[in-house]
Amino acid sequence: MIQNLKRYGTLMGFGFIVLFFWANLPETFMTARNWLNISQQVSMLAVIAFTMTIVMVMGDFDLSVGSMASLSGITAALLFAHGYPVAVGLLAGLAVGVVGGLFNGFLVSLVGILPFVATLGTLTMYSGIAFLVSDGKTIFGRDIPRDFSGIARSGLEIPALEITVPFLTILALGVLLLVWFLLEHTAFGRRLYAIGGNYEAARLAGVKVRRLRLIAFGLTGLGAALGGLMLASRVASANPTQGSGLMLDAIAAVFLGMTMSREGEPRVLATLVGVLILGLLDNGLTQMNVDSFVREILVGAIILAAVAISSLGKR
Amino acid sequence: MAFLSLQNVSKSYGAAKALDAVHLAIEPGEVHALMGENGAGKSTLIRILAGVTRPDSMEMMLDGARVRINGPQDAYDLGLRFVHQELNIVAHLSVAENIVLGRAYPRRFGVAVDWKALNRQALGALKRLKITHIDPARKMARLTTGDQMLVKIAALLLDDGAQAARLYVMDEPTATLTGDESQKLFDVIRELTASGASVLYVSHRMNEIMAICDRVTVLRDGRHMATRALSDTGREELIHLMTGRELETAYPPRLSPVQERVHLSCTNLSTAHIADIGFDLRAGEVLGIAGLANTGQSELLLALLGVDKPKSGRITFDGQTKRHNPAAAWRSKIAYIPRERRRDGLMLTRSIIDNITLPHLKKFTRAVGVQSARHERAHAAQLARDVALKSDSLRQPAYQLSGGNQQKVMLARAIGDAPDLLLLDEPTRGVDVGAKYDIYTLIRALSAKGTAVILTSSDLPELTGMCDRILVMRDGKQHAIIDTTGLSPADLLATFYD
Repeated sequence: MIQNLKRYGTLMGFGFIVLFFWANLPETFMTARNWLNISQQVSMLAVIAFTMTIVMVMGDFDLSVGSMASLSGITAALLFAHGYPVAVGLLAGLAVGVVGGLFNGFLVSLVGILPFVATLGTLTMYSGIAFLVSDGKTIFGRDIPRDFSGIARSGLEIPALEITVPFLTILALGVLLLVWFLLEHTAFGRRLYAIGGNYEAARLAGVKVRRLRLIAFGLTGLGAALGGLMLASRVASANPTQGSGLMLDAIAAVFLGMTMSREGEPRVLATLVGVLILGLLDNGLTQMNVDSFVREILVGAIILAAVAISSLGKR
Repeated sequence: MAFLSLQNVSKSYGAAKALDAVHLAIEPGEVHALMGENGAGKSTLIRILAGVTRPDSMEMMLDGARVRINGPQDAYDLGLRFVHQELNIVAHLSVAENIVLGRAYPRRFGVAVDWKALNRQALGALKRLKITHIDPARKMARLTTGDQMLVKIAALLLDDGAQAARLYVMDEPTATLTGDESQKLFDVIRELTASGASVLYVSHRMNEIMAICDRVTVLRDGRHMATRALSDTGREELIHLMTGRELETAYPPRLSPVQERVHLSCTNLSTAHIADIGFDLRAGEVLGIAGLANTGQSELLLALLGVDKPKSGRITFDGQTKRHNPAAAWRSKIAYIPRERRRDGLMLTRSIIDNITLPHLKKFTRAVGVQSARHERAHAAQLARDVALKSDSLRQPAYQLSGGNQQKVMLARAIGDAPDLLLLDEPTRGVDVGAKYDIYTLIRALSAKGTAVILTSSDLPELTGMCDRILVMRDGKQHAIIDTTGLSPADLLATFYD
């Protein structure tokens, strides 16, 4: 009984949340339209949380993803403002993510700074750079090309079902598939899990721990940048702080997911459940006109409850 | 006459009976050995005594009165003290602080710690064990493992007064100690028993049991096999009681002669920790590394694995030099089992399969980096059979296995790619008699196939029994290389000292 509660508590909580909103919002909640809407709302958080899972598999963290998301959005928007084509802005934004991520990896794996401290430092640095290059201003309106903001508005129409699947949702699903494949079905992913299982053992068993850690942080940086570009496209603007809320939510989503595995390991499919729980709460509570501060209290309490239940029976 | 007796102790985990109507009686002032293979129920019995595990049934008498143990505090109040195999020390605090840890520090003016009084208290506790070589003001981290163990025992003595200690339970206390350090521990045990306390002593080391214990209780598969006086019990009889089978010789013989081909060659090798190492190792040869504790045995293996980089000299494998890192080593068929398998070897929460295949993942990689889970499982299953691993399922996490089976997982990992050179750091430490023999047999089989083996051990009969030659180290330097033909453990020991 306790075993099942530990293992499936989070999933049961997810089911309960769905039923709760379904009962309270019978007209609007359980509709394809609303769920597609939710999927688009959570898509940036999802991308960042999925790629955050990659470093958390090794037992590491990346606190800089939020400011990295802002920085990549700003970078792209600045290039747009200077008349560069959309593709250049996108590539530059992603490149900034890779470089920033690799820099985190360099600090953590080669210099040997604790991930918490290293990425706390780069969080502040990346945020400062975003302010510096943008002069602290929001870039919006005519500076943002329609082709760019159109990305978030486009979608795949499925006439038979009379729905349009948002492009951002498809993008997030693509990232999910890639990360899932990488972590669960390649030697690369298995080695990351080995590092998380026992760093020293992995090193002595011939795993190139430093190189893998470097690459993993690079991928997390890339994911953060992609999330930032998606966000900038969706709101058709970029400012130096718009991504900052994403970091805590992404880590929370991975933690919620970790409560679902037997040994408490991050799994990217479980991270998806974590993302959905956060997204559903946001969507449902907003529809029920619940104050956003109350929402925050609820989200925090749910995370604590999930972690507490999953550690039941541990000494 | 026994002052403490346990009757009818039973404990089941699901269908498995860990203990089945076991009994145990301890006499005042005796050293009572508790023996049995891994999984025989020793640890369960000790956990029950410590109040950590609840038995299904137990009748316990102390001084003729019925008592119960419902938790660690009860065990403490009854005068039971526990010395665990793992040292729980606070490394950056002083010896004295480790001794008083958890109790009130002596104070001046009610606030400031009175360091002098603190050190005096600690010194008193150490003196009671006739230990004079440890300075209470030293940082715990700077002590040898053996001295740390003595400090932990001294800490147990600090507070006997009202509830004086009646029985010290020591679970493999010498597993991490050198011969010298063990001797100090045995002196302490004599001190304790002379003052009327008793000791329940768990160890796999037959020599120690014979040397310091008065009586022995043997468990097998959770059942009580015998309680005997050691003065009229032979080694063979003990092994027979523990395993239920005869072990004709403790060390299996060589299956084929050492090959002519030199596989590994070290010339004038020095790293940050070792110096002046030079030897040739031939295919199929078993080389032992011996010496007093911490004189560089483990560090020599780490140098060969490429963890510690050479400062001077060279290492060649089949005449070629290799890059110095563990990844390159495993790629060129050098396998390694660390001394601390739980700390440096195993991923405890991950499955047996994951633990076995870790260095060999490349083998199972198909197109575009996809792992073939089926091949991996089959490979791990074959290796698990080769090392006679006992487990419920290969998906079991490693922490659920006994020490002997954990070591077999490490062995399965090491032989996974048919290594040319096998580096074993204390391969039989904390491993029961039966599993030890399995490990020896495996070493012989590998050596017959041409694998060169280097093993360190603090078990001298194991070195003389298994190795062709032994490299003796002193202070990180190579002192001698000895042929083991006709070499007795005592001869070997003599080479450790000037």
